Amino acid sequence: MKNDFIKITGLRKCFGDLEVLKGIDLNVAEQEVVVIIGPSGSGKSTLLRCINYLEEPSGGEVVVDGIPLNGEAHINEVRKEIGMVFQRFNLFPHMTVLENLILAPMKVRGLHKDEAKKLALELLDKVGLAEKADSYPESLSGGQQQRVAIARALCMKPKAMLFDEPTSALDPEMINEVLDVMRSLAKDGMTMVVVTHEMGFAREVGDRVLFVDGGHILEEGTPEEVFNHPKEERTQNFLSKIL
Amino acid sequence: MDFNVEIIKNALPLLLAGAGITIEISAISVGLGLAIGCLVSIIRLTQFRLLRYLGNVYVDFIRGTPLLVQIFLVYFALPAIIGQRVDAFFAAISACSINSGAYVAEIFRGGIQSIDKGQMEAGRSLGMSWWQTMRYIILPQAFKRIIPPLGNEFIAMLKDSSLVSVIGFEELTRRGQLIIARTYASFEIWLAVALIYLLMTFVVARLTGVLERRFDTSK
Ligand SMILES: Nc1ncnc2c1ncn2[C@@H]1O[C@H](COP(=O)(O)OP(=O)(O)OP(=O)(O)O)[C@@H](O)[C@H]1O
Ligand SMILES: [Mg+2]
Repeated sequence: MKNDFIKITGLRKCFGDLEVLKGIDLNVAEQEVVVIIGPSGSGKSTLLRCINYLEEPSGGEVVVDGIPLNGEAHINEVRKEIGMVFQRFNLFPHMTVLENLILAPMKVRGLHKDEAKKLALELLDKVGLAEKADSYPESLSGGQQQRVAIARALCMKPKAMLFDEPTSALDPEMINEVLDVMRSLAKDGMTMVVVTHEMGFAREVGDRVLFVDGGHILEEGTPEEVFNHPKEERTQNFLSKIL
Repeated sequence: MDFNVEIIKNALPLLLAGAGITIEISAISVGLGLAIGCLVSIIRLTQFRLLRYLGNVYVDFIRGTPLLVQIFLVYFALPAIIGQRVDAFFAAISACSINSGAYVAEIFRGGIQSIDKGQMEAGRSLGMSWWQTMRYIILPQAFKRIIPPLGNEFIAMLKDSSLVSVIGFEELTRRGQLIIARTYASFEIWLAVALIYLLMTFVVARLTGVLERRFDTSK
């Protein structure tokens, strides 16, 4: 049995009067790939964002790599270890691809510029974009931008990666190039939490699928269990709409 | 009505010297205003309630009162408090800088807020601190966007600095007044003064455009 890298207990999150997460318990083991599905507004992004403290939980506990998340001091420690990939890429438009990649390793990890560049070029090569190192983000396609965003997160050598609908802003023909990168990451043993509605990907790569609805984890199991034999009616409803 | 070109010709050296002083006071004021505005806009983004509150009071006060009254406050009211005369140059520069600072602070704030909040999140999620993200990601992008409004602020200051003529500070407008007092040629002189202002603001507008394009291609 592998150690739990992320341990979430009784996590609650409110925005004003709106309770978005109503007590989430979730453990993610090292090297596990957890896929989160659920209707719009159910709290999937909020859950991910609580893991690296982009949202401050209103209650409950989040422990990452043995470090309980509370207080500003630990936050940057944890964020160094968790990469995050956003739906809308969020590349830094005023920097070249290479500069996007080396900034945080230099400023946060204290890497020398040459080391950072070497690492960045390796990672760009891995996502198939070595020749774009000196381009600016706006000259890249959506799929390329998202691959750069993944490489940028990897450049911090994180122990886990969070993906928030990484392909839903992409044209259909670009989805696969991004999923391929994610597949190979999973194969290399990266711990991953992925919000996505790409069922093919979830089946193939996911160790576990969670169905989130109304701020609760309503159902969880292997992809086979959740997709082929959903127990809850709401899961069945949801799946019938997106499949 | 006869239009006396000769008078303009004779007055021109004096007027141009006055224009030089107008440029000087505007440049110094906007320069100091930039420093003040940058500081104030960052103060207003931090978590410190009291500082934020003071920043807001400053900006609201300056933007809610006329520059002319601010000049009077520095020139006439301040001496009453400190028990010492302040000279016109000091009064002019401080009133204009303090005034400019408030407008620049608003420009900065607008520029910073116009940057997609995903940029801050991306920076923070990479483990960078708030300040690092501000410095390397948000501010460089915001800076590009505030070039045009900063240009406008400079243009406004070139024109509004004419108000310091009321405390006898001899910039372009005051020079014009003095020459008219001697020659009575108000039409000629005011026309010349207007054209000099127009020329200055036109040049600044052009320079702003050039700067904007320069930063745009290198992004
Ligand atoms: N910063 C915020 N302030 C107020 N309400 C918010 C905020 N962020 C999210 N919400 C609300 O919380 C709820 C859950 O949002 P969340 O983004 O987590 O849903 P989601 O499951 O990711 O949805 P989607 O599939 O559309 O991305 C929504 O009702 C949303 O409006
Ligand atoms: Mg979402």
